[in-house]
Amino acid sequence: MLFISLLRAVKFSLQDIIRNIWLSLVIIIILILALFSINLLYTVKVIGQATVSAVKEKIDVSLFLKNDATEEEILALSQRLKSLPDVKNVDYISKDKALAAFTDKHQDNQEIIDALKQLKRNPLSPTLIIKPNSFESIDDLSKRLDALDSPLIESRNFANYKLMLQKIDSITAKVAEAGLLISLIFAVITILVVYNSVRVATYTHRREIAIMRLVGASNWFIKLPFVFSGLIYALVSLGAIVAVYFLFLTVLQPYLEAFFVGYNINLLEHYRENFFTIFATQFVAAALVNIIASLSALRVYSKI
Amino acid sequence: MIRFVNVKKLYSHDVVALNNVNLHIKPGEFVSIVGQSGTGKTTLVKTLISEEKIDGGRIVVGGWDITRIKRSEVPVLRRQIGVIFQDFKLLPKKTLLENVAFALQVCGSGRKKINTIAPHVMRIVNLEDKLARYPFEVSGGEQQRVAIARALVHRPKILLADEPTGNLDSINANEIIDLLLRINKFGTTVILVTHNREIVNRLRRRVITIENGQIVSDQAVGKYLL
Ligand SMILES: Nc1ncnc2c1ncn2[C@@H]1O[C@H](COP(=O)(O)OP(=O)(O)OP(=O)(O)O)[C@@H](O)[C@H]1O
Ligand SMILES: [Mg+2]
Repeated sequence: MLFISLLRAVKFSLQDIIRNIWLSLVIIIILILALFSINLLYTVKVIGQATVSAVKEKIDVSLFLKNDATEEEILALSQRLKSLPDVKNVDYISKDKALAAFTDKHQDNQEIIDALKQLKRNPLSPTLIIKPNSFESIDDLSKRLDALDSPLIESRNFANYKLMLQKIDSITAKVAEAGLLISLIFAVITILVVYNSVRVATYTHRREIAIMRLVGASNWFIKLPFVFSGLIYALVSLGAIVAVYFLFLTVLQPYLEAFFVGYNINLLEHYRENFFTIFATQFVAAALVNIIASLSALRVYSKI
Repeated sequence: MIRFVNVKKLYSHDVVALNNVNLHIKPGEFVSIVGQSGTGKTTLVKTLISEEKIDGGRIVVGGWDITRIKRSEVPVLRRQIGVIFQDFKLLPKKTLLENVAFALQVCGSGRKKINTIAPHVMRIVNLEDKLARYPFEVSGGEQQRVAIARALVHRPKILLADEPTGNLDSINANEIIDLLLRINKFGTTVILVTHNREIVNRLRRRVITIENGQIVSDQAVGKYLL
């Protein structure tokens, strides 16, 4: 009996979706728009997080050394630095290496290359690049390096990374906030639209529902087709959003790569790896909104 | 079978639809309820099937006190009481047989049971040759007979008829009353709400007259008083 009722509820729900196909399409399109905005927000968040951690990863402090420092002196200093707390490692860029990198970087700029040639000597200073253990220890490390007294040191360049990252953090937070607001607005619109469509649906079904109540159909049986319709709407819009969003990400990816050169940001990969978590959550949310809206509409408009 | 004890029903603080109604209907009775428009007859029917909750008193149906019936128990009550109305409440896009079968479908009956009971009740109301017609293809009297057939699918102990002949001419109306009498003869308690003086006088059964939500007369073999 239970199984028969379940099958019948599915049948009623499918019949209903097909008979009111335009209403069904409106609900599905609204759901797709809402899911798209939520995914967009999520994408911005992922990009923001990836950027921040990539920037953190790249953070280091440079010590520019005197031009006439000898190799032994520099290596000795490098050893000393390595023994400091908070230091992960120390890279030594010799004058020659620095010059090679510099010419490489400016190989297209003939003027700079000519100017270098005219100098006839290497104008670049040897550099020690110090990577901190973690982003959080950068302040302590800068202080220690400031206190470090060595005749080799020509200048210290401690850019204010903390401030920069705080800015990135606050920007992503603001974007997330705006996105949250947009998603909330969409969620409210979705709930209203679904609620009203179901209201219309219950209204068109009021005869049928009244008869069902009259002849003694149980309340759960009357509600069940609406629950199934909610699940079906959620499933269809989820299928659509998976297709649409993967297409969107495929189109977006080259631009992302061009914009974030040198950072490893691959949204497609992220979505593939977290496919289940991302879309299962969205399915549950979409289905819940639908089902709650339809059940509360039923309660108000058909007293069940 | 049915007992009303001091039943009171208010729609709002100044609309008193039923006021101190006391009533006892025995199993197998055929009772007519008459009264002017707006006196609470339909309200009485609705309280019996728990479509409206009462504000005072008690209602007992077949030994079951339904005064404070749970929401989930209402369907159980409805399967024991068949109801028909002036507007037949058929689904226009279903055939007559499908309309009857629908009542069994939504209550979880199996296909086999439906295939036996639905044609059977259609035979009781003499419509076995019009099973595949749609409601708009048959007369009002026939539509009401389908509604009666549908009300019978759960073998109810009580049949409530709220002005079943209100939309019918006298020939069709008499047919419906004869059908109700036949159903009553099989043992079903029938409660007939009507405005029709001729019918009530012809029946020579118990008549309850309601005025302003109160029972003003209850005669074992009654006449239409108003
Ligand atoms: N849902 C409602 N809300 C408020 N008042 C109502 C409601 N239903 C009925 N009433 C009022 O309650 C009173 C009794 O109504 P009811 O429908 O029981 O009368 P009735 O005897 O069936 O009348 P009729 O013979 O015209 O069908 C009337 O005054 C009516 O206006
Ligand atoms: Mg009435």
